[in-house]
Amino acid sequence: MDKKQVIDLLPDYLDGVLDPVLEQKVEAYLKECPECREELEQLKTLFDAFANEEVAVPSHRVEASFLELLEQEKRKAEKVVPLNSKEPSTRPGWENFLKVAASIAALVGSFLLGQYLQERQSHMEIAALQEEGLELRQTAMLSLMENKSASRRIQGVNYIDAFGNPDETIVRALTDRMLHDENTNVRMASVEALEKFTASEIVKNAFIKALKVEKDPGIQIAIIQTLVRIQEKKAVTPLKELMQQDETQPFVKEQIESLLPSII
Amino acid sequence: MKEQTDEIIMGMVAQGDLDLLKILFKRHHLHVYNFLYKMCRDKMLSEDVTQEVFYNIMRYRASYKNGKFVSWMFTIARNCLKKHLKKNVLHHDDLDDVSYRLLDNEVPKEDYTHLQKALDKLNPSDKELLVLNRFQEIKYAELAQIVGSTEGAVKTKVSRALKKLKTIYFENL
Repeated sequence: MDKKQVIDLLPDYLDGVLDPVLEQKVEAYLKECPECREELEQLKTLFDAFANEEVAVPSHRVEASFLELLEQEKRKAEKVVPLNSKEPSTRPGWENFLKVAASIAALVGSFLLGQYLQERQSHMEIAALQEEGLELRQTAMLSLMENKSASRRIQGVNYIDAFGNPDETIVRALTDRMLHDENTNVRMASVEALEKFTASEIVKNAFIKALKVEKDPGIQIAIIQTLVRIQEKKAVTPLKELMQQDETQPFVKEQIESLLPSII
Repeated sequence: MKEQTDEIIMGMVAQGDLDLLKILFKRHHLHVYNFLYKMCRDKMLSEDVTQEVFYNIMRYRASYKNGKFVSWMFTIARNCLKKHLKKNVLHHDDLDDVSYRLLDNEVPKEDYTHLQKALDKLNPSDKELLVLNRFQEIKYAELAQIVGSTEGAVKTKVSRALKKLKTIYFENL
């Protein structure tokens, strides 16, 4: 074995994947060859650097979107039921007709029987599936709303349409967007999404709070109209204050002025 | 189910048990993500492509042919990444230049380790081989499947790439 061969074997030697005979030969050679030992040291340093490299971790959005896609695919897969194409009848006649009729009767009969037996259970299963889907949608929605890109956040906010009756986590995440998002469009989308849930105290209070902090006139007007529509008495004082403030746009003031009497 | 091999699980996914894909996702999404991130140095792109890789595994599950799952997965991963890098280039650039170009565009380089900087100086195919072989611990046989070559050829290439890397690594230390 010459030096070049030994040096070529060093990576495998370090990884411990050489066969024992070769390994012994390399070890013997290393004792005689300072240059090879130097080479081995460098290689060790390099391999250590590989081993010490940190594992990067992606954001939660990757898993959430994967789970969402998986659910979609599962729903798709459930819909696809393979159908065997009917064999064309080769022998017309009574015998054949009776066979076909009997098999149709058997098919329909067993179908109805199966349907009857399965109905209750499958209803329960579907309900369970929908619930599971809802949970995943919720995860997806929450993670989208935390996304760096504003359009993604809007997409997340608009997911609300998928929920008939959102739970508190979702509602709080939405009010959080409405109150604190840096992007006007995201805040506006949140106002629109929350309009449908004004029965909730959390939502009402968030609207009143938004009235105090929101500076964008378009959103101010949307909030004012919502509060007036639901006849929220607690909004009267903050509305009056908003009217007094100098930086409030004249048309916002007009809007308050014309709508305020309808609350009282 | 935890003890099952990737291949058995993927076989069952291919048969239609989609939920099992969650196990494979849990086991491997960090591998895919880190491979992509080391190759393109772009977190958002790596996240998007990781997602796409598992989407493709799901979508093309029926075409899984009982080979080594990890090889199949990384084959998909590098194809997806190539497609994305291609998309980012307007015209007539060789793919080999592309990764360099992307690197130049990314600003914060300071927090890269010395090893990362050295790897970035290799040509993309050498870098890819080393990332897969050393970080992902892919053996030569699987590596050959992934890059579409023979085991012997891959072994020689890895060995050469490692020598180049070692030179770069120590001359700039």
